[in-house]
Amino acid sequence: MSRINKPPDAIYKELFQQVPYNVAVIDRDFNIVEANQNFRDYFGRWRNKKCYSVYKKLDKPCKHCPAMEVFKKKQSVVFDAVGIDQHGRNTHYVAQVFPLKTGNRGKIDYLMEMSHTVTETDRWQQEYQILFDRVPCYITVIGEDYRIVRANEAFRENFGDVLGQHCYKVYKRRNTKCPNCPAEKTFKDGKVHHSTQQGIGKTGQKIHYAVSTSALMRDSDRVAHVIEISDDITAIRKLEQDVIEAERLAAVGQTVAGLAHSIKNILMGLEGGKYIVSLGLKKNDKEQINQGWDMLERNFDKTTSLVKDFLSFSKGRLPELVIINPADLVYEIVDLYKDIAAQSGIELKCEVSSKIKSAPLDRDGIHTCLTNLVSNAIDACLMSDKKGTEVVISLTERRDKLIFEVSDNGAGIDYEIKKKIFTTFFTTKGGEGTGLGLLTTRKIVKEHGGNIKVISQKGKGARFRMEFPRKRLASLFKQSKEKE
Amino acid sequence: MSDNKKKKILVVDDEKDVRDFLKAALTEAGFEVTEAEDGNIALEKIKSEIPDLISLDLVMPRKSGAKLYRELSKNKKWSKIPVIIVTGHARDDLGKADLRELTMSGPGIYLEKPVKPNNYIAAIKKILNMDTTEDEKEKAELVELQSDLKNIIDSSDPETLKKLKDLLNNTKLTGD
Repeated sequence: MSRINKPPDAIYKELFQQVPYNVAVIDRDFNIVEANQNFRDYFGRWRNKKCYSVYKKLDKPCKHCPAMEVFKKKQSVVFDAVGIDQHGRNTHYVAQVFPLKTGNRGKIDYLMEMSHTVTETDRWQQEYQILFDRVPCYITVIGEDYRIVRANEAFRENFGDVLGQHCYKVYKRRNTKCPNCPAEKTFKDGKVHHSTQQGIGKTGQKIHYAVSTSALMRDSDRVAHVIEISDDITAIRKLEQDVIEAERLAAVGQTVAGLAHSIKNILMGLEGGKYIVSLGLKKNDKEQINQGWDMLERNFDKTTSLVKDFLSFSKGRLPELVIINPADLVYEIVDLYKDIAAQSGIELKCEVSSKIKSAPLDRDGIHTCLTNLVSNAIDACLMSDKKGTEVVISLTERRDKLIFEVSDNGAGIDYEIKKKIFTTFFTTKGGEGTGLGLLTTRKIVKEHGGNIKVISQKGKGARFRMEFPRKRLASLFKQSKEKE
Repeated sequence: MSDNKKKKILVVDDEKDVRDFLKAALTEAGFEVTEAEDGNIALEKIKSEIPDLISLDLVMPRKSGAKLYRELSKNKKWSKIPVIIVTGHARDDLGKADLRELTMSGPGIYLEKPVKPNNYIAAIKKILNMDTTEDEKEKAELVELQSDLKNIIDSSDPETLKKLKDLLNNTKLTGD
């Protein structure tokens, strides 16, 4: 309260001392004639010293002296510089220098320099820049016009110096926006979006990347900038392709070996038929000729069914998904096998949960799977010495998964065989099987994004379970619709 | 056939066509043939009458040829029965391990499907030390040699095989 009564120049003096900047008054000869407390605290003693000696601990004026410019142009300037504080530490400061008009004829005798240290801010900025540049992924910031405003070092190295260019031009050499652009979605809804894309690098190399986009300003009403962070997955993609290729080659090897085995068996039958026919002819034994001829016919038929199975297996088609009622499929199979099972004294049962909703499935594919499993189950019952054998087909739904099960109380599968049942051409059925049934079944199930499991113990029957997660069926269905 | 008593052969194979074929060839050559469609039935037949030789398939439902063979080799009397293995699985994963074990431990040789009837008969006669014609002798020796070679190849590690191959190639080049 008492301050109000002070004379005005005392207030100005106090104000000068309290300004939260480093303030110094400098004359034309670089002498600091006045400075405030902040200045003293920061740069140290100043009385009877030259400005360059205080600010920068130099013994002659700086090369580009902003003060001289102010004296010359009589206008204030803003500049930034690196000085040395009273503890000898480098300090980065921003200063504004303006002329003090004290003389009458407009002559400038003094100037005032107000500086503010930005060392800390500057360090943060540098660290941020390093972080931005050195993170091992591509970062760009794009504006609403899809032009790149910022790009980090990794991005610039692979895609070139691209500021101001359209992102689609840079990433993919396109002239229009990419379809399915995640940035576009983020501009619309402000949310984070992901996608995987293939781009072209500055030397024309293919670059696979997984990109995530998010709005730069979260709380504003409008998304003005989107930050795109992409991870280069080119190497991973290559590894994936290598693995797929290796698996494919292994599968080809297995398939060829299996095929050779099946053909060997058929050849054995043909060899036998030929031999028995020739024996019969030699002895003029009609019965033997017939026996041999039958054998020949049977093995020719086997060739046909082998080729058919083989073709249907090798057909790498995508499932043709149609919304159907899965229960109908089960009833169809029961109708198909009821009589065959009954003739062999096997009871064919069917348990369908009443709550099953329709689902997108490949009708023919699932039909094939169920046919394979049911005919296997019937064979297992036939192979068993037990009486009262039965085959149960069930359809249930648990945890959003559609579950088909085919179980029997027949011969069961022993451990050794269980390891091999999904292997190409494996059969324990001698001449009856081509060994492709379960393999085809598994293939179809996998194409539906599902899984097949077997639970069995020798002598105790077997249970095959096909599970189809509804989520995957839905996304496959969506994909197939998009393709159309 | 000069023996006054017919030799008895037990043919074990799950495929009827194969059994019929082998039976026809054996009967034609003067053997007496019994059949079994899996290891269990074969064991029953052996229990009731010991055959002079068993013609055995490896991969069969219920009891496989390999399992039957292991059971036979544990029995003092049965372990002496010569066995000829006729298989289509000789070189795949399914039969290979079993086969290696079998050929190492017991009497007999193996043939890979499809077999020629003459070779099959010649091999059986050789094992049973029966009178053979010159032609049969030659065939049997050939079959035996093939069987031996296959055995060596199947039980060798790939490195040794590679060295052997290189050695053979070099020999050819230098004319040694």
